Amino acid sequence: MTATWAWLVLLFPLLGSLTIGATFKVLPERTAGLIGISAIVAAFVCGILALIGLQGEPSESRHVASSLWEYANVGGLKIDLGIYVDPLSIFMVLVVTGVSSLIHIYSYSYMESDQGYHRFFSYLNFFVFSMLVLVLAGNFIMLIVGWALVGFASYALISYWYRRNTATKAGMKAFVINVVGDIGLYIAAILIFKNLGSVDYGTVFERAPEVFTTNEWEIVAICLCLLVGAFAKSAQMPFHTWLADAMEGPTPVSSLIHAATMVTAGVYLIARCHSLFELAPTAADVAAWVGLATLLIAGTIAIAVTDLKRIIAYSTMSQIGYMFVGVSIGAYSAGMFHLMTHAFFKALLFMAAGSFISAMANMQDIDKMKGFRKAMPFTAAMFIIGALALSGFPGTSGWFSKDEIIDFAHFRGGMYDWMWVGMLIGAFMTAIYSFRIIFRILPGPPCEEAEYLEQHGHVIHGEPKNPATGELEDTEVGYPGEEHHIAEQAGGMKFAMAVLGVLALIGGLLQIPGVDDVITKFLEPTFENSVFAHMHPSTEDSWIGLGEGALISIAGIATAWLLYIKRPDLPVKFRQRFSAIYTLCVNKWYGDEIVDFLIVNPVKAFGRFCNRIFERFAIDGATTGVAGLTRSAGAAVRDLQSGLLRGYAVLMLFGILAIAVYFLIRSI
Amino acid sequence: MLSSIIWTPLVFGLIGLLVPKRFAAWVAALGAVITLGLAIGVLAGFDPDGGMQYITDVSWIPGLGVDYSLGIDGVSIFLVLLTTIAWIPAICFSAIRGTDRPALYYLMLLAGETSTLGAFLAQDLLLFVLFFDLMIVPFYFLFGIWGRDRGGEEDPERSPGNGPVSVQSATLKMIVFTLIGSLLMLVGAIAAAVIAADGGELTFSIQTIVARGLPEGSQNWIFWFFAAAFLVKMPAFPLHGWMPDSYRAAPLPALAVFSAVLSKVGAYGFLRVVLPMMPDASDLFQSTMLVLAICSILYGSAMAFTKTDLRLVLGFSSVAQLGFITAGIFAFDSTGAEGAVLQMVNHGLVVVPAFLIVAMISERTGSEELGPMGGLAKKAPVFAVIFLIVSMATLAIPASANFIGEFYILNGLFQVDAAWAIVASVGVALAAFYALRMYQLTMHNPLPDGSDSREISLRDALVLVPMVGIVVVLAFCPQLIIHGSEQAVDSSIAIVREVAK
Repeated sequence: MTATWAWLVLLFPLLGSLTIGATFKVLPERTAGLIGISAIVAAFVCGILALIGLQGEPSESRHVASSLWEYANVGGLKIDLGIYVDPLSIFMVLVVTGVSSLIHIYSYSYMESDQGYHRFFSYLNFFVFSMLVLVLAGNFIMLIVGWALVGFASYALISYWYRRNTATKAGMKAFVINVVGDIGLYIAAILIFKNLGSVDYGTVFERAPEVFTTNEWEIVAICLCLLVGAFAKSAQMPFHTWLADAMEGPTPVSSLIHAATMVTAGVYLIARCHSLFELAPTAADVAAWVGLATLLIAGTIAIAVTDLKRIIAYSTMSQIGYMFVGVSIGAYSAGMFHLMTHAFFKALLFMAAGSFISAMANMQDIDKMKGFRKAMPFTAAMFIIGALALSGFPGTSGWFSKDEIIDFAHFRGGMYDWMWVGMLIGAFMTAIYSFRIIFRILPGPPCEEAEYLEQHGHVIHGEPKNPATGELEDTEVGYPGEEHHIAEQAGGMKFAMAVLGVLALIGGLLQIPGVDDVITKFLEPTFENSVFAHMHPSTEDSWIGLGEGALISIAGIATAWLLYIKRPDLPVKFRQRFSAIYTLCVNKWYGDEIVDFLIVNPVKAFGRFCNRIFERFAIDGATTGVAGLTRSAGAAVRDLQSGLLRGYAVLMLFGILAIAVYFLIRSI
Repeated sequence: MLSSIIWTPLVFGLIGLLVPKRFAAWVAALGAVITLGLAIGVLAGFDPDGGMQYITDVSWIPGLGVDYSLGIDGVSIFLVLLTTIAWIPAICFSAIRGTDRPALYYLMLLAGETSTLGAFLAQDLLLFVLFFDLMIVPFYFLFGIWGRDRGGEEDPERSPGNGPVSVQSATLKMIVFTLIGSLLMLVGAIAAAVIAADGGELTFSIQTIVARGLPEGSQNWIFWFFAAAFLVKMPAFPLHGWMPDSYRAAPLPALAVFSAVLSKVGAYGFLRVVLPMMPDASDLFQSTMLVLAICSILYGSAMAFTKTDLRLVLGFSSVAQLGFITAGIFAFDSTGAEGAVLQMVNHGLVVVPAFLIVAMISERTGSEELGPMGGLAKKAPVFAVIFLIVSMATLAIPASANFIGEFYILNGLFQVDAAWAIVASVGVALAAFYALRMYQLTMHNPLPDGSDSREISLRDALVLVPMVGIVVVLAFCPQLIIHGSEQAVDSSIAIVREVAK
C-alpha cells in the first residue's frame, strides 16, 4: 500500500502538468491555477498516507521498493522503472510537496496578470514532479532521470519570460551546468555497475561494504563523481554561477528552486548514498570542505551585493553549504533537519521579497528601497520572521537546525574543529546580511514607492523594465503582467506566507536536544547502518552549542544594526578602506569570469577553430580539391558528358557496373 | 514477404508516373503507408530469439555465386521500421506543399526507400553493395533537380563557410565522395568473396563468408575498403567534407530521410558486415576507429554550436551522434552495441521532425539562419512544444530513449577504457549546448519584425505528431527495442568479442 501511495505522489503532479498544458486553450486561467494547486496538495496528502503506511511497519523493514516495468536491460545492466520508499525519501516528499503547495498558492495570486498563466502552472507542476522522481527513484538511473528533469524544468522556468535575452541566457547557463553535473552521475552509475553489478539502491548499498575497502580508489572515484552532480545541482563551488542568474525567473520560481526543490538535491544525494561516502571518507571530506568554502564565500558576497533577490540567492548557497558539511561529516539528521527549516524560511523570504519587488514595480535594488515598515506591515513582519530564522535567532527553527550541524563538527573534533570555527564565522555573516536587508528597507523615511502605496493603497505603476539591464520590456509575455500584487492585498500570497511564517518560527520545536528529537528518530531506519548512527553530542554539549549560536546570532544582528542604522557611514568607509576586498565580493569572487576563462572560452575557441580554420581549409579544401579533380577528369571526356546533372549519375552507375564486371571476370 | 517490402515503394513510384499529376503525391503516400503496414506485419510475426528470419534465397547470377538473398534479424527489423516510418512524413510534408514535376519527385523518393530497405535486408554481400550504391542515385536527382542554389546572403564574418553554394557543385562533391567509397567497398566485397572461397565455390553469401573466415592479412585492407564507404556515408570526421554543401542545397523533406536513414546504413554495415567478416582487423583497428568516433563526437559538436545555418547545426549534430553510434559498435560490448542500435533508431526518429521543423521555421521567417530569427514560440505554443521535445531528445536528456542509448554506449566504452567514456561524455555536455542554442535562438528571445509567429497548421501537426509520439512512447519503454534486438546484436559482435579476448 505504501508503494501505491508513493506512485500516486508522482502521478498527481504529472497529471496536473499535462492537463494544464493540454487544455491551455479552453481552460480559464483560474481553473488552471486551481488544478495546479490541487495536484500538489493531492501529492502531499498521498505523501502523508505513504508515511502512515511506512510507520506501520517495524523499524527494520521500513523500506519498500516497487517497480512498474523493466525500463531497459542489456548485458546485466538492468534498469527498472522503480521507486524506493524509506523514511528519507518520504521526508523529502513531504518537504517538497508541502512547501511547493504553499508556493503554488502564492503563485496563484502573484502571477495573476501574467500572460502565460497556463504555461507557468504546467511548468511548476512539472518541476515538482521531477523533484519527486529524484527523491523517490529506486536506482541510480531513475535518479539521473529525476536529476535531469529537474534541470530541464528549472531551465523552462528560469527562461519563463522567454522574450528577455537575459532570461534565456540564464536558463541556458543553468541547464548546461546541470548537464555537466548529470555527466558526473553517468560516470558514477557506470562505475557503480562495473564494481557492484547493479544500479539498484538496495543491492548497491548492501554490497558496497563487502566489495570495497575503506578509501579504495574506486569508491572514492564513485563518490567524487556523485559529488560533481551534487555540486552542480546544489550550486556549490565551482558550479555555483548559475544560481544567482536563475533569479531571472519569476519570484515564486526562485522560491521553489531555492527552498523546496532542486538545490537541496545534492544534500539528499549525499544522505542517500551515505553508505558509499562512509566507505570513502576522503570524498566525504572533500564535500565538507567544499561546503565550508561555499558557505563562507557566499556569505561575503551576500554582504556586498545590493540586488534583493541575489542576496537571498547567495544566502541559499551559503545555507546549502551548511547542509553539505552536515551530511558529509555524518550529521545526517541534522543536515536533513536544516534542509527542512531552510525550506520554510527561505521560501518565506523569497515570497516576502516578491511582495516588496511588486511594490517597487519590479525594482530589486535594496539601495532604492526604504521605509516599507508602515506601507507593508504584513510583508515586513514575515520578512523579519524569515530573517530571524535564517540568522539562527534563539527559539526560531534555524537556531535549532543550524547549530546542530555546527555542534556535530565540534563533536567530531580534529580537523572538523576548523569547520566548526568556519561555520561559526559563517553564522555571524548570515546574521549580518539578513539584517542588512531589514535595516535597509524597513525603517527610515519611506521611499517614493512606499509613500505612494501608503497614500493610495495600491502599488505604484512603473515602466516594465528588465531589472538586470534596465531595458524596456515587452509585456505581452508579461513581466509579471501589468498588475503587481503584494501580500497585503492578495489572499493567496498572505495565506502561504502566514503558514510558512508560523513554520519558520516553531518548526525547530520538532527537534529540541534532549526533549523530542523527532527528526532523528524518524530518519533512524535509513541511517541505522551508518557508523555515525549512535554518535551524538551529549544533550549538555548540544545546549552549550545552542547557547553559542544564540550569542553569535545576536552579535551579528547587533553588528548589522551598528553598521546600517547607528553608523551608516561605516560601511562606506569600510568600502573605501578595503576596496580590493569589496570589489572581490561585489563581483562574486569573479566566479563567472573564472569559469569563462577556464572552460567556456576554450570551448568556444575550439569551436571557432574548427569552424573557421579547420573546416574551411583542411576539410573543405580537400573536398573541393577532390571534386575539382573529378571535374577536370570529366572535362577531359566532355563528349561523354551530356552537361546535364544526371550525366554524372548515369556515368557512375555504368562505372560501378563496369568495374564490377571487370573484377568478376578477373576473379573467375 | 521481404521482397514485397523492398519493391512496394518503387512500384507505387512507377504507378505515380501513370496517374494524373495531382494524384502522384497521394499514390506515393499510399505506397509508403502500405510498406509500413508490411513492415509491421513482419514485426508481428517476428521472433526476437529466432536469429535470421523470413529468409528469401534465390540464385541470381549462379556463375558468380550471387544470390538474391534477403533476411531480417533483430537489428535490421528496427531499421526497416525506422525507414518505413520516416518516409511517410517526408512524403506527406512534400504533398501538402506541392513540388515541381511531382511524379518524378515521388518516384525518386520511393526509389530511395526501395534501395535503402534493400540494403537493410540484403544477406548477400554483392546485393548489399548494389543496394548501397543505388541509394545515392535517387538522392542525387532529388538534390540536383529539386535542390536550390544558396546565395552568400549570410554574413561571412559571423558564419564562415556559408558562402554561395550551387546545387551542381554540392551534388558533385557528394557523388564523388560516395562514389569513391562505393568503389572501394565493391573491390572489398569481391576480394572478400574470392579470398574466402580460396579456390572453392565462389559465393557472396555474408553468412558463408563469415563462416569460411578471411586470413588476417587480407582482413586488414578489406576492412578499410568497407570502412571508407561507411564512414563517408555516415558521415564521420574527417570524411564529412561533402556534407555541408549538400545539406545546404538539398530539398528539406528529402534531406530529412537522407540524414535520418541513409546515415544509419553506414553504421549498420559495420555491425552486419565488418565486425563478423573481419573480426581480427576490427580488433586490430579498434583504437583507430574509436579515435575517429570520438573525433566525430567532439568535432561535430563543436561545429554544431558554432554554425548558424540550421541545416548545418543538425548536420553536424548528426556527425556527433553517429560518432557515438560508431563508438558503441567498436566497444565490442553488448551494452555498447545495443546502445548503438537503440541510438540509430532514436536518432532517425528525431532527425526527421527536426528537418521538417527547419522547413517550417524557414516558411515563417524566410531564413534558415540562427541569429536574425527568434521568438517564434509567441503565438505558436504547440509548434514550440514539438520542437522542444525534439530538441530535448536530440540532446539525449535522461528520460528519453536517446539517453538510454547514450548511457549504454558510454557504459560499453567504459569497459574498453575509462578514458574513452570520459572524453566521449564531453560530447553529452556539448550536445546540451548546441541543441538548446538551436531551440532558444529560434523559439525564444524577442520576435524580430517580419517574422511570422504562426501556429503549426493542423496538417503539418498530423505529419509531425506521430513521429514525436513514437519518440515519447520509446522514452517510457526503450526496452521494446532492446528486447527485440538484443539477441541479434549479441550475435553480431560474438565473433569479434571472441577475437578480442
